[in-house]
Amino acid sequence: MRSIRNGLVLALGITMTAFGLAACGGDDGGTPAASDPNAKVELSLATFTEFGYEELIPEYERLHPNIKITHRKTGQGGPYHQDLITKLAAGSGLADVSAVEEGHLSNVLDKGSKFNDLTKIGPAEASPDRWLGWKYDAAKTKDGKVIGYGTDIGPLAMCYRKDMLEAAGMPSDPEAVKPLFATWDSYFAAGEQYVAKTGGKAWFDSAAQNFNAMVNQLPTGYIGGDDKLAVESNQGIKDAWTKVTGAVAKGQSAKLTAFSNEWNSGFKQGAFATKVCPAWMLGVIEEHSGPENAGKWAVTAAFPGGGGNWGGSYLTVPTQSKHPKEAAELAAWLTAPEQQIKAFKAKGTFPSQVKALEDPALLSETDAYFGGAKIGQLFAEQAKKVAKPQYKGPGDGQIQENASSPALQAVEQGKSADEGWTQLLDAAKKITR
Amino acid sequence: MTVVDKIVPDEEKAGARTPPRPTLRHRLSRWDVKVSPYLYIAPFFVVFGIVGLFPLLYTAYVSLFSWEAGDDDPSFIGLDNFKELFADTQFWNALENTVSIFLLSSVPQLIIAVLLAALLSARIRGATGWRVGVLLPYAASLVALGIIFANLFGPKYGLVNGLLQTIGLDPVDWQAGRFSSHVAIAIMVNWRWTGYNALIVLAAMQAIPKELHEAALIDGAGTARRFFSVTLPLLKPTLIFVTITSTIGGLQIFTEPKLFDAMPGSNNGGSSNQFQTVTLYLYQTAFENYELGYASAIAWVLFVIIVLIALVNFFLTGRLTAVKKK
Amino acid sequence: MTTIHSGLKRGVSALGKPRRVTYVVLTIFVLGSLFPFYWSFLVASRDSGMLTERVPPFLPGGNFFANAARVFDTVPFWKALANSLIVSGTVTLTTVLFSALAGFAFAKLRFRGRNGLFVFIVITLAVPTQLGIIPLFMAMSEFGWAGGLQSVIVPNLVTAFGVFWMRQYTLDAVPYELIEAARVDGCSMIRIFWNVCLPAVRPAAAILAMFTFMTSWNDFLWPLVVLDAGNPTVQLALEKLQSGYYVDYSLVLAGTTLATIPILIVFLLLGRQIVAGIMQGAVKG
Repeated sequence: MRSIRNGLVLALGITMTAFGLAACGGDDGGTPAASDPNAKVELSLATFTEFGYEELIPEYERLHPNIKITHRKTGQGGPYHQDLITKLAAGSGLADVSAVEEGHLSNVLDKGSKFNDLTKIGPAEASPDRWLGWKYDAAKTKDGKVIGYGTDIGPLAMCYRKDMLEAAGMPSDPEAVKPLFATWDSYFAAGEQYVAKTGGKAWFDSAAQNFNAMVNQLPTGYIGGDDKLAVESNQGIKDAWTKVTGAVAKGQSAKLTAFSNEWNSGFKQGAFATKVCPAWMLGVIEEHSGPENAGKWAVTAAFPGGGGNWGGSYLTVPTQSKHPKEAAELAAWLTAPEQQIKAFKAKGTFPSQVKALEDPALLSETDAYFGGAKIGQLFAEQAKKVAKPQYKGPGDGQIQENASSPALQAVEQGKSADEGWTQLLDAAKKITR
Repeated sequence: MTVVDKIVPDEEKAGARTPPRPTLRHRLSRWDVKVSPYLYIAPFFVVFGIVGLFPLLYTAYVSLFSWEAGDDDPSFIGLDNFKELFADTQFWNALENTVSIFLLSSVPQLIIAVLLAALLSARIRGATGWRVGVLLPYAASLVALGIIFANLFGPKYGLVNGLLQTIGLDPVDWQAGRFSSHVAIAIMVNWRWTGYNALIVLAAMQAIPKELHEAALIDGAGTARRFFSVTLPLLKPTLIFVTITSTIGGLQIFTEPKLFDAMPGSNNGGSSNQFQTVTLYLYQTAFENYELGYASAIAWVLFVIIVLIALVNFFLTGRLTAVKKK
Repeated sequence: MTTIHSGLKRGVSALGKPRRVTYVVLTIFVLGSLFPFYWSFLVASRDSGMLTERVPPFLPGGNFFANAARVFDTVPFWKALANSLIVSGTVTLTTVLFSALAGFAFAKLRFRGRNGLFVFIVITLAVPTQLGIIPLFMAMSEFGWAGGLQSVIVPNLVTAFGVFWMRQYTLDAVPYELIEAARVDGCSMIRIFWNVCLPAVRPAAAILAMFTFMTSWNDFLWPLVVLDAGNPTVQLALEKLQSGYYVDYSLVLAGTTLATIPILIVFLLLGRQIVAGIMQGAVKG
């Protein structure tokens, strides 16, 4: 009797193991590169957060009956890029079309040999003039390979609390505030005014938000054209540092780390009056501020220093792919203006394609939460203000994430500006050693 | 000490006059005794051979190279990674943080776990419910944990600071300070792992025969005396287990400091690495800086450090739970 | 004689019956343990907005079922649950079985290299595992297992932790006398293991099962790297709920609450097994 029970347990164990083994998806790869254009091809596409491709995938499959697409979505960019690095290191497992975020682009460009040159394998219509110049050029390796087709962008504008500026006796209409946000100097000067008039309330949420935008506008960034660290010799960066830490010292910063828990709460608590605002930030502001603050936030087509960009991604075709040509075609199709507009309508990803920026559907887009502002037009305008892309050498993204942002956080937490600068330098040197 | 392999078949013992030619049954039996142990430990070694050994050797191999993820031609640099590591201030900083958090968390945790197990081993009503209740923290989702502790220890809007202010104390910027961050993380760790260790100790406590407790009672021992003279020594194998696994787990601490950072997903361990542990630093080196060779070196140095400290704790525990001579 | 006897009775009941303070302390602990679950349920039953309120509400709202339904709509939750059950269930069964087996061998049998091999196993616990996913992924790709559940099951079939734990427990829980008795009765090794050792180590096995199940259930990074898109486990599905720049925590926490239910069931089932050793009294003069 007992042996029957034991036997059952064993059988259960074996069955489950067998079930598990049988449930294997079994990665046996697609058919080898076929000369027959109608041979079945399986492509994999990997993205993170929301690209808005849910409807587009079936559409592509309908247009190309011999192609089957598996779409692998990861919720957040962090785990996605860890997975990317793992598979890059392991030499296998990358999807045929792999998305890469702007912040990680510099590392990927450094490993350019692991990605296909899309000018060679991509269709002719995916030509450089399809995209905004700065977006297209940013994905070029040093030897001129283009490894990514641009998907979306995050053109910068300035978002602000109308009611809070009004209460401080400052102009609050989107046109009237433009002079305040014309240059960084005028921005921080307005901040000083605001702090004085409100008896100490914060002007902006986080020093790092401003600093990153400022550094991105410089002709040279953290890394020089020779791929060596340029921070020490770069006066622009030092000036930006001085200005921002000066503003922090004068109480202009709410000292919140972007996307942290307290930053989330900060919106509802009205912790700051202005905010560096890429196109995708509007949804975030709305969700965090809640319905009770509807209409209090506004956005204006001005940004200190002209324009800028934060965020956005590219679709790449790694050399690991067994069907590079088909993958490039898929990537090109997905990043065509028509498809990007559809993605925009689905998930709000702001297009980087020139034709899409002229599309009436985009230009007529408004946002009720921001007082009915014509945000499509606004951000399209801002997108055009971005100058040529800054060269992002290897380690650039890390320096921003792990050297300058933490250093600014430390200053906001009480370190002196000089100590913070030393910390930034040390960390940056380490990253690029 | 084992009697098993000393068992002699009955016939021989009885001094039978049959020639000592072993029957098939005897041979099988002896073969059973000799071979079974190896068969029983084989599953572990087979699995380990496939999925444990290769990564181990690979990591050791990679640590001798300067290799970035995606490099096709890594260069062999011998022990240079290790030399660099010993001069790396960020590594020593991480090590200090790790040891600090480890001490702040493990010491109270183990004491509380043993006491908790003692409470649970009494004949309480609804025992299963209490035991499950105590283990629950380990099952909490990391997402929830991250948000909850961020809400508790937030510098501006956190509950703990709110409480401090109501009693008239100053709010603490938990993430900013070195010691304060270690304390907060230690609380997180203890919250999550105390019940886990308590259950392990509980299982061992339940295995102590009641007769021993009764005998001690007859001898007139009080609760405390019984605990120290009867319970603790008999818990020795388990306490050694708990100490070693807590040491290893504590020195490898990763999840809690990562969740504690205000910047979501950051591996920095704070604005100035004030709570970056060695595993966080390792992770950052590999998955943010793409430097796999250096990260492998960190992994192996950490391994050696853990083994050394675990050995020390092993001896300490042995001493503390030594059977007292009458 | 009678005094000793009644004293003993009193003593034994003093040994067994807990004082009120025991219940108080335990209640505090359990409340502290339960709090995050209650809190998760709270958020899941309301909306994410409550997270940013200065003073959070304390009572649940009515949105839980709506949010739970959204979870099922957003991600293939049933499939993920099924996959996780298969993976965690299999891994738990094999780990407990093989760990008990190896623990028995290390604790009670004598063989050459016993101590050295055991120390080796314990030492492997000290190796940090974060980097292992790269070579492990290479290995899984080599075997052609990448993408399927076996790539998540096989590396976890038996753990050093399990072997270590079962060996420590088996040391004291299984008396030699019993083994010897069984041996004299002519039992083979495997029968001794099955009929003598296993019942005696039941509490430890139950605890190991709980831990193994939970660890496997909560595993995230390795399944993320190795499993196919169409074959997620519960944690992968939950991560997909966190999509986007703005994370809807009421949805995410509804998902995690749902994902915790199977664990609770397993806990309750196994929790009963942690009873006093049934071998006590089996060895009497």
